Amino acid sequence: MKYLQTLLLVSLIGLLSSCVGDDFVEDRIDPVLRINNAIESLEVGTDYQFEFTYFNNVGQQAAAEVVWESSDANIISITSSGLATAIQPGDVELTATVSGPDDQIFQTLQVSAGATTTEVEVATVRTGVIQTTTFYDLEGDFELVQNDDGTLTLNIADNYKASSGLPGLYVYLTNNPRSISGAFEIDEVKTFSGAHSFEISGVELNEYSHLLYFCKPFNVKVGDGEIN
Amino acid sequence: MNLQKSIITILLITIAGSLIAGGGWPQPKGKGYIKLSEWWVVADQHYTDLGRIDPNVTTGIFNTSIYAEYGLSDRLTTVVYFPFFSRSYQNNIFSGTTGDIITPGEAINGIGDTDISLKYGLTRPGSKLAIATTLTFGLPFGNNSGGTQGQLQLGDGEFNQMIALDAGTGWEAGSTPFYANASVGFNNRTNEFSDEIRYSFELGAHLFSKKLWVTGRLTGTESLKNGATAETSNSTSIFANNSEFLSIGGELAYNFNDNWGLSVGVANAVRGEIIFASPSYSVGVFTKF
Repeated sequence: MKYLQTLLLVSLIGLLSSCVGDDFVEDRIDPVLRINNAIESLEVGTDYQFEFTYFNNVGQQAAAEVVWESSDANIISITSSGLATAIQPGDVELTATVSGPDDQIFQTLQVSAGATTTEVEVATVRTGVIQTTTFYDLEGDFELVQNDDGTLTLNIADNYKASSGLPGLYVYLTNNPRSISGAFEIDEVKTFSGAHSFEISGVELNEYSHLLYFCKPFNVKVGDGEIN
Repeated sequence: MNLQKSIITILLITIAGSLIAGGGWPQPKGKGYIKLSEWWVVADQHYTDLGRIDPNVTTGIFNTSIYAEYGLSDRLTTVVYFPFFSRSYQNNIFSGTTGDIITPGEAINGIGDTDISLKYGLTRPGSKLAIATTLTFGLPFGNNSGGTQGQLQLGDGEFNQMIALDAGTGWEAGSTPFYANASVGFNNRTNEFSDEIRYSFELGAHLFSKKLWVTGRLTGTESLKNGATAETSNSTSIFANNSEFLSIGGELAYNFNDNWGLSVGVANAVRGEIIFASPSYSVGVFTKF
C-alpha cells in the first residue's frame, strides 16, 4: 500500500506541475507612422488637414503626439496638428515626427504649393512574397487587390507551395509579423500548392503591412510576407 | 539441468512483467501484472514534417493510467491500458514587449485513448525463443478536439487495430540475467489517419541480486502517409496524423519484494515528424500476482 501512496504522491506532484504556465514571444518591432492622405501639391490660398495613423512597437494602432514642421513656412505653413496652408508657389518638405520612449520616427512629404491640390495616387494593387520563417515549406508570390465594391481579394500565385503536413494553418493580415495580436484573420489555409484566392471584406487596402501564416495548434508563426 | 531450465523459466516469466506489453512472453494462466503509472511530456518544440525542430507554445500532456496483463491460459493473455485521467494544457502566451496576454492558456481533463489487447504465444511456454502475436484495439475514448481551437487532445479520435509480432529471448551472462525482445506491428487506423508500422527493440538486465531491471528501449513509428493531410487534420502533439518518430529510452524497475516494485522511465525522440521533440517521463508502481 505504501507503494501506491508513493505513486499517488508523485502523481500529485506531476499534476501540480502541469498547471498552465506562461510563455513570452518576442514581438517588438519598429513603430510606424503612416500618413493616410498624402498630397503632391496644395492650391495656394487653401488649407489641408493631414491625417496619420501610428502603430506602436507591437504593431498596434495607438494615440501619439505628432509634431509637424515645414521646411519653408513662407511657402506652406503647417500647425502642430497637421493643418497645412499654402501661401505662395514653391516646394517644401513637410515632416511629421513622433517622439517615442527610445527614439523618434518621422515621415516626410515633398509638397508643392501651386494652382491645384493633387492627392498622391493610391495604388489598387499591392504585392509581396510569402516566405517561411520556420522549418516548414512555405513560399510564393501574392497580390492584394482592391475591388470596385470595396472588398479585397488576396490572390496567391501558382508558384505557391506550403507543407501539407502543417496542421491548422491560418493566414492573417497584420501590422506586426511577429504576432497575431491585433491581426485580421482571413481564413484557414486549405490549399497547399498552386494558385488560389481569399475574399476579404471590412479591411482597407493599406490597413495592414504584412501577410502572416500561423499554425494555431502549435500556436506558432510559420511565415510571412511584406505587402509592398 | 532441470534447475537451470527452471531458473530460465522463472526469468522469462519475470521478464513478461517488465516489458511494456509483455514482449514475446504471455502471462501464465491465472497470473497477472498491474501497473499504476504517471506518464507525461512537456514540450516547447516539435519536429516539423521536414524532420527539423521548430518551437511551439509549451504544451503538456499527462496520463495517469492502469496497465494490466492477465493470463487467460498459458498462451493467451489479455492486456488493458486505460489512462483513466489525462490532462492536456497549453501555456498562456504573453507579449515579451508589453506583457499583455496574446493567447490565454487552456487545459482539458478526461480519460484518454484506451488499448485492449489479446496476446497469443506462438511458442510453448518456457521456450528459449518466445514468439507471440498481439491484436490490439485502440479505443478513441479521449477528447481529440478540446480547447477553443480544438488544439488540445487526449486522444487521436480514431479507432485503430494493430497486429504485432514479438520475439524475445533470455540468457544469463555470468550470474546476470539478460533478455532481448524485438517487436514489429502494423497499425490500421480509421478516420483518414494514415496507417503505421510500429517497431521496438528492448534489451534488459536483472541486476543487484535480481532486484533491479535495467532496460534500454528503441521505439519507432513509420507512417505510411496514406491518409489525410493537413487539409482535413488539425491534430498535433503526440496525436497528430502522419507523425513519425524514433525514440531512445530507458527504464529502471526495482522490485521491493516478490510482488511489488517501482519503475521510472524516460524516452526522447531522436528523429521525428509532426511530433514533440522533448523527453517523456514515467513513474509507476507495479504488482505481480
